[in-house]
Parts: sequence; structure tokens; C-alpha cells
Amino acid sequence: MFQRILAIIQKEFQQVLRDRTTLIIMLTIPLMQLVLFGYAINTNVRHIPTVVADQSMDHASQAYLDDMVNSGYFDIVATVPDQNGVIQAIDDGTARAGIVIPPDFAENVVRGDAQALVLVDGSDLFTSQSANAFATIIGQEHAINIVTQEIDRAGTTATQTTLPALNALVRVLYNPDMKDLWFIIPGMVAMLLQTQALVLTAAAVVRERENGTIEQILVTPIRPIELMVGKIVPYVIIAMLNMFTVVGIGVYWFGVPFQGNFLLYILLAFLYVFSGLGLGLLISSISQNQRQAQQLMMLFMMVSLLLGGFIFPRYTMPPVIQAIGNLFPLTYFVPISRSIFTKGVGFSVVADQVLALVAYIVVVMTLAAITFRNRLD
Amino acid sequence: MAKSLQRLRALIYKEMVQILRDQRTLMLFFILPLIELFLFAYAVSLTITHLPTAVVDQSLDTRSRDFINAMVNSGNFDVTLTLQNQQQVIDAIDAGTVKAGVIIPPNFAEDVARGNGQVLILLDGSDSFSVESGYNAASSIAQMFSLQLTAEKIQNSGTSLASSVASGNLPITTTTRVLYNPDIRDMIFILPGLIALIMQIIVVTHSAMAVVREREAGTLEQLLATPARPFERIIAKLVPGMLVAMIDMAVVMAIGVFWFQVPFEGNILVLTALSILFIISSMGLGLVISALSSTQRQAQQLSSIIQLLAMLLTGFIYPRTTMPLWTQIVGDLIPLTYFVRIIRGIMTKGVSLSFLWTDTLALFVYACIALAFAALVTKKRLD
Repeated sequence: MFQRILAIIQKEFQQVLRDRTTLIIMLTIPLMQLVLFGYAINTNVRHIPTVVADQSMDHASQAYLDDMVNSGYFDIVATVPDQNGVIQAIDDGTARAGIVIPPDFAENVVRGDAQALVLVDGSDLFTSQSANAFATIIGQEHAINIVTQEIDRAGTTATQTTLPALNALVRVLYNPDMKDLWFIIPGMVAMLLQTQALVLTAAAVVRERENGTIEQILVTPIRPIELMVGKIVPYVIIAMLNMFTVVGIGVYWFGVPFQGNFLLYILLAFLYVFSGLGLGLLISSISQNQRQAQQLMMLFMMVSLLLGGFIFPRYTMPPVIQAIGNLFPLTYFVPISRSIFTKGVGFSVVADQVLALVAYIVVVMTLAAITFRNRLD
Repeated sequence: MAKSLQRLRALIYKEMVQILRDQRTLMLFFILPLIELFLFAYAVSLTITHLPTAVVDQSLDTRSRDFINAMVNSGNFDVTLTLQNQQQVIDAIDAGTVKAGVIIPPNFAEDVARGNGQVLILLDGSDSFSVESGYNAASSIAQMFSLQLTAEKIQNSGTSLASSVASGNLPITTTTRVLYNPDIRDMIFILPGLIALIMQIIVVTHSAMAVVREREAGTLEQLLATPARPFERIIAKLVPGMLVAMIDMAVVMAIGVFWFQVPFEGNILVLTALSILFIISSMGLGLVISALSSTQRQAQQLSSIIQLLAMLLTGFIYPRTTMPLWTQIVGDLIPLTYFVRIIRGIMTKGVSLSFLWTDTLALFVYACIALAFAALVTKKRLD
């Protein structure tokens, strides 16, 4: 039995190694993603190009604008006379945000009802989110500083010692600087392993069927289960190697900390790869030709990318959508990967997901074997 | 000229028959965009409110309740769990049952009165969108709450400012207004970019595959033996892909506008004209791929790399302003970069062509280069 499996493994390996372009593409895509997320993509937008319409030009408006600029979120690129000028600049794209300060700002501040308007370009997602959030926060901070100074000046000795009344500490666990790459890498490992498992196996069975070589294999003493195992092994090795590359570069080059138990991680990743391969084999057994298999696989990858929790949080999705997400192994491994990689927690926390993965493998493999047998008749 | 038109008609007819015969691919071209649209619409939320939150209130006095109420009333935090101590909160975040935790130590009211009240807010840093929304909201709520407490306490000290602050008014109110998308609805961000992305995917894959398939099937030589000129063949290949892409654009846009209520502010005729320019550019990109690959498989793999780059670098989701120069340049090589700005400009901002002429010019140049390159490639293949 082992001899037969070994023979198949050898054959599959040769086939994989011979198809150079596929191999190179499989290896470069994850690296490309890693480099792009590492260097190019930044969702926390700073230095937003901003135009200013300061109709007061007094010390209060100047102080307000200084605080905005010093925060690092807003870079003043131009000054315009009024609100229309601001909207025009945002319309033609020279600025993403605009600050409008109406006349008599300083007097209004003293009276306590000064208004500043921040306009934000709403056609650009992350820019508008950052601009919206930080304009509010910085504006509030500035106002609070004024109040504090005022109170200080007028206040008795008793009030001076009681400032501030409350000290709120916001602490971000696991990722204190909120670096994008720290969010991305554990999810990317999950995405990568599933993609590779699917791409590699989805074509494996159909190709043999298309070429007519599957009959040749079937007349040999090899049993279907041996065929499946033999087909899977080379791809498991390739997928795992890729995982090591991504984790290695992430940890040693980009400095993303690996908090948990690496051995446990490898073990569970190994289990996860099997679930992906199972899904791939199922696709392969359902499809009539390579083209169909490839299209089905692309569809699955796209759906699981959106629904698996890799990028977009799952708890905000409606239950039906969550249920669709449950059909893909990615959904189970993303929390496992984040838990061990980023959070550094142990097996007990992810036990449910691991159990789900095991069940998934059993179901998918059984389905694949059944459809495969039906197809043969 | 008349002969040329005749040949062109025959070639277009052939391409149409080919594309109609491959019904499964055709179905995919029409169904995939709809699946993407509905998934994005119902699954993707980029602005997170109602973070599931665990609360540890070791004081249980009026002050601590006020603080928790302030957090809940902001709409950003939903208390889903009440726990006893900080360790339990960390465990709950570890296990993923909550995304945030608020810990209020004992004697909160007295500490606040003495001026050293402490609150600890913990956030799950493994989930990017949740943490960013949560961080900003928590800082801002805590700050405001603190100020109100301070002001309340010294209200009797006399300044009018203090009393107005205590009732929640600051001397400066910063109002932010998000143009074009006042309620920050995700669909308004996503739809224009998604339409552009879908069109590019369809045109690039179609044109890349169409040429390679003929080469693989050996029918390319037969075509070359006919009097059809390279340029005519390119145009013939372009037409069916363009039709499919335009229909997709119309369907997705109609559902977006009428079902999901995404406003269409600009001129649809201008957009249609510019999308033809975009389609020609994308087709050029597809032909470059077909020139580089010798089998359908390779063509498909290369187009999926381009699609990945397009998703990440063209400004469809991630902002281009924060990218380093070299990735911006890579993004500039993909026609989607220009068209995302154009379609957002027309659909969302409702601006006219005069605001978009640089991108239009860039697309025009891109289309010219693409067509010239395509003609060159097909000529080369003759030898």
C-alpha cells in the first residue's frame, strides 16, 4: 500500500515541478501580497491634503489650525476665501478635506459658541474615515484645552489640583501601535494556505480525467483512497513551505511578533491544509473540465475572502451571510491563526474551531469520494 | 473601406458566435458581478459601530454607571457581558467573545471627586476595523466625560464657561460634514469602484483568453490565412467583450442605484463614453497578457496577478495617497487607477469632464499605446 502511495506521490511531484510557471506564480503571489501590505498599504491615513478658508484670521483661529496641522493628520495645501472654494477644491481632487472658520472666531470662542466646519471628501473610504474621526477628536481636544486654561486662570487652588477628574487609558491588546501588517499576516497565512490547497488540487483530478489518464491509473491496483492521499501529499508540502516563508518574512523582516506556540500552529495549519485540499478535491470531482474547476475555485476564493473574516469582521454580517461563510475552511482558521499568532493563547481557546475543522474534513472528503465514485460509473 | 467593413462584420459575427456558444463562461460573466455586488452590499461593513463589549464595574455607583451609559449611548459599544475583573476581560477578548472591555476600579465616584478617577478600556488588536473605530470612539467619549465632570465640579466657582461645559457644550464646536456621502454608507464608497473592477476583470480575462485560445486551438493560423488585417481582428475581438462589459456595468449600476439607493450624481452619457475608453485600455492590457503567455492556464494566472494588483493598488479600496511612490507607479500601469477616479467623480461627486481631464487624457494615451502594441504583437505573430 505504501509503495503504491509513494509511486503516486512521486508522479505528482514530477508533474508539479514540470509546470514551472504555475509553480513560480504560486510562490510569488504570497510574497507580492506580503510586500505590498508591508510597504504600500496603510489604512490609517495621515497627512490628508487640506484646504483652509479662515475668515477670521485671528489668534484663536490660528491656534485651532495649528492644532489640526500639528496632529499630523491634516496638511494645509492651499487657502481659499470661503466654503465654496473648499468644495471646489475637494471636487477637483486637489484636497481631501477642508476647514472653514467663520468670521469673528475669537469673539465667539470667548462667548462659548464658536463653530468650525470640517468638510471631508466622502468618495474616498479610509481618508474620509480618518479625517472624520480625527477632525472631531482634535477639535474637541482643542476646545477642552481652552476650557482647562480658562478654568485654571479663574480657578481657586482647589480646582487646580483636581484637574483632570478622570484619566481614561485606552489600551489596544496584542497590537498597541495598530500596525496594519500585524492584522494582515495571520489572516494572510490562512488565505494563502486555502488558496494553494484549492488551486493545486482543483485541477489535479480533472486534468487526469480530461487527458484520459485517470482510466490508466484506475486499472492499476491503486485504490481510490490511495490515489487521493498520493495526490494530496506533494501539495501539502508545497503549501506548508509557503507558509514558513510568509511567517518567516513576516516575523524576521517585518518584525511581526509571533506570540503563541509555533508547534501547535504548524500542527493546526497542517490540519487546515487538509480541509482545503478536501474542498479542492470536491470541486475537482464535481467539475467536468479544468476550465470549470478553475472558475468554481475562483468563485469560492472570492466568496471566502469576503466572508471568512480575513479582512471584514464577521460579527457585523447578517446570520445568512455568516452561514455561507461557514462553508469555507478559511472561516475556521482565521480565528485560530489570529489566536495563536497574534494573541498567543493556547489550544483551549480555539478548541471549537479545531473541532469544526475536523468535522469539515470528514464531511468534505466523504462527499469528494462519493462524487468521485459516481462519476466513474 | 467597404471591403474592410465587410470583413470586420464577418469577424465580429464569428467572435459573437464563439462567445455565445460558450454558455457557461457567458453565464459566469453575468452572474459573478451580481454575486460580488450582493456580497459586498450585505457582508462588508467598513465602519464599525456596536462593538461587543465586556464591562467590569467594581464601583457600581452613579459615576460609573454614567460613564458606561455614555459609552453605550455613543452607539459604538454594546455591553454584551458583565464580568468581575480585568483578567476575565482579557480572557473574553482572547476567546473572541467580545472585542472591547471597560474596567472601572472600586471607589470610582470618590476617586473622581478627588480628581484621580481611572478607567481602563481594552480593545482587541487583532481585528483591524474594529480596533480603529473603537479606539477613536473610546478616546473621545472618555475625554468629553472627564471634561464634563471637571466642569460640573467647579460650576459654583463662577466662570460661565464652566457651567456651559457641564451641560455638554464646548466653546468650539467642530462639525464635520462628509461630502457626497453624509451618512458614510459603505455602498456609496464601494459601488463605483466595484463596477470598474468588474468591468476590468471581464475585459482583461476575455481578451487575454480569446487570443491564447485561438493560438492553442491552432485556429490562429487559419485566421491569418484570410485577408483580414491585424487591426480588424483586434477590433473584432474587442466588440463582444465590450458588449458584455457594458451590459454588466448597466446591470450592476441599475441594481446599485435602484435597489441599494446609491445616488448617481453626474452625467451618464459622459460616463458611458469614458467607459469605452477604459474598456479599450483594459483590452490592451489583456492583449499584453496574451502576448506574454503561451497557454490558457498561464494567461489566467497572469490575469489573476493583475487583478490582485488592481484590488490593492488602484485606490479601489485602499487609499493611494498613503502609498510610497514605487507602488503608485505600479498602480499607474493599470487602467483601473484612472477609471476609479473618473467613475467616483461622475457617480459620487457629480463633477463634469473639466474636473477629470487629466485622468481622461491618461486613459486616452493608455488606449492608444494599447492598440498600437496589440497591432504590433499580432503582426509579429505572423512571422
